[in-house]
Amino acid sequence: MNEHATDAPTDGDWTTIICPKERLFELNIREIIRYRDLLLLLVRRDFVSVYKQTVLGPLWFIIQPLITTFMYMFVFGNIARMSTDNIPQPLFYFSGTMLWSFFSTNLTKSADTFIANAGLFGKIYFPRFIIPISYIITNSFTLVIQATVFSAFYLYYTVSGHAVSVTTAILFVPVFLCQLAALSVGCGIIVSSLTTKYRDLKNLLNFGMQLWMYATPIVYPLSMVPDKWRWAFVLNPVSPIIESFRFAVVGRGHIDGWQMIVSFGATLVILFFGIILFNHNERTFIDII
Amino acid sequence: MARVISIEHVSKQYRLGVINNGRLYKDIQSLWAKWRGKDDPWTKIGEQSKNFRRDRFWALRDVSLSIEKGERLGLIGRNGAGKSTLLKILSRITAPTEGLVKIKGTITSLLEIGTGFHPELTGRENVFLNGTILGMKKRDIEKKFDEIVDFSEIEEFIDTPVKRYSSGMYVRLAFAVAAHLDSDILVADEVIAVGDVKFQQKCLGKMEDVSKNEGRTVLFVSHNLGAIEQLCNTCALLEHGQLVVKEDKVKDAIERYNQLLSS
Repeated sequence: MNEHATDAPTDGDWTTIICPKERLFELNIREIIRYRDLLLLLVRRDFVSVYKQTVLGPLWFIIQPLITTFMYMFVFGNIARMSTDNIPQPLFYFSGTMLWSFFSTNLTKSADTFIANAGLFGKIYFPRFIIPISYIITNSFTLVIQATVFSAFYLYYTVSGHAVSVTTAILFVPVFLCQLAALSVGCGIIVSSLTTKYRDLKNLLNFGMQLWMYATPIVYPLSMVPDKWRWAFVLNPVSPIIESFRFAVVGRGHIDGWQMIVSFGATLVILFFGIILFNHNERTFIDII
Repeated sequence: MARVISIEHVSKQYRLGVINNGRLYKDIQSLWAKWRGKDDPWTKIGEQSKNFRRDRFWALRDVSLSIEKGERLGLIGRNGAGKSTLLKILSRITAPTEGLVKIKGTITSLLEIGTGFHPELTGRENVFLNGTILGMKKRDIEKKFDEIVDFSEIEEFIDTPVKRYSSGMYVRLAFAVAAHLDSDILVADEVIAVGDVKFQQKCLGKMEDVSKNEGRTVLFVSHNLGAIEQLCNTCALLEHGQLVVKEDKVKDAIERYNQLLSS
């Protein structure tokens, strides 16, 4: 390379070019793969630090949904006597709380990406998208642990003769879960990109997640919703995923194809916009945070 | 010699004071005006156009530098001269406002040691975490692990959570990881001297070893002119965000810096 080679034709030789403008949509998968070791270690860090120096250790991953389930059984099942679509109460509430906590933890954690990691991001470069991905993976592990508890409940009810049965739709469960993950991270990174400038959203988030939960058929089945309000549930892309999941594993309720398609479309749009906003932010947020 | 870093007319602008108008609706009005190509309704009187806004500050202005392979460049200048901003742009932490930077080969930046250390994890776990954050592969860390622990002199405590470490142990371990990176280009901001005098000497020695003997390109910011003279073979002086001079003789640049300081 000679001294005068500043011009464009020799750009091929450079490994990295840093310029002021980012591309609108850019997800550098190859770079993320190059940092896979970091990804795995971040997952390990987040997973392990939950139970370090606790007596019950990894049991903490199932205590919370268990207690929540009992509480829901007591409040919504026994006091309010709400229907569970003939699904045994523990199965109904546990599946709901398990999926919702997967969704909401993914969302709230990735919504905090920039602020919680400002110290790290301010000192070193690595693909920023690694952070929300690591949250999804960490929470997926938690979900798997909780799913084994769910299976235990399930086994109990099958053995004791309750009419619960899986449907062939169970093959789509991984799709539902991926969609839920994509949706949560999409929403999360949109919030994360907006909160670097306006912290207001952060205050709204916890409160908003609680409201959103009640707007989603977690503690009640969709069948309880009066027909005139059904349309409102189409607007909530989480609802059909939860309903479909329950149908797939327990065989009650139903899968509404149209709602699933709308929800799927919404997920793609949200994720797409999320990545655009995230891209835009990751290069300069450190100046304004 | 091949060039490995080419910095071309790089500028970086920061906004002063409160970032936004303070209210979402004002920001939206500003954006709306910008989209339509109108003037920002919230521009203060006297601020005619964007380029003359008083709330902007150029931390770097039109800096061009090129760095050859194996060069050990010291960056000196007063506080606020733009040294750290330049390093931040090179390490891709923040994007330049104008200009281009081209880099050949892998680059690691040490703007701080122990980045990403988690207090609950043990020394061993943190070596891996920190190493991968700095861009190393897990395999490579495994290979160098004994060397790193040896260098840090804390073998006994390697399986203790780092929250129980003394601050000296913490920085020694952190530096040890940083010292064993194997990127083509190393960018360091005043981090080399940690711990007691003996360990500081060891750090400097290691840096010298790494840069001189392994033929790596090093960019090094420091206010410690002695260290610059010891480590570097070229030196650039920044002042008010602009490049004053780049000298092949480190002494000349330092002399110029001293003139600046006394004037």
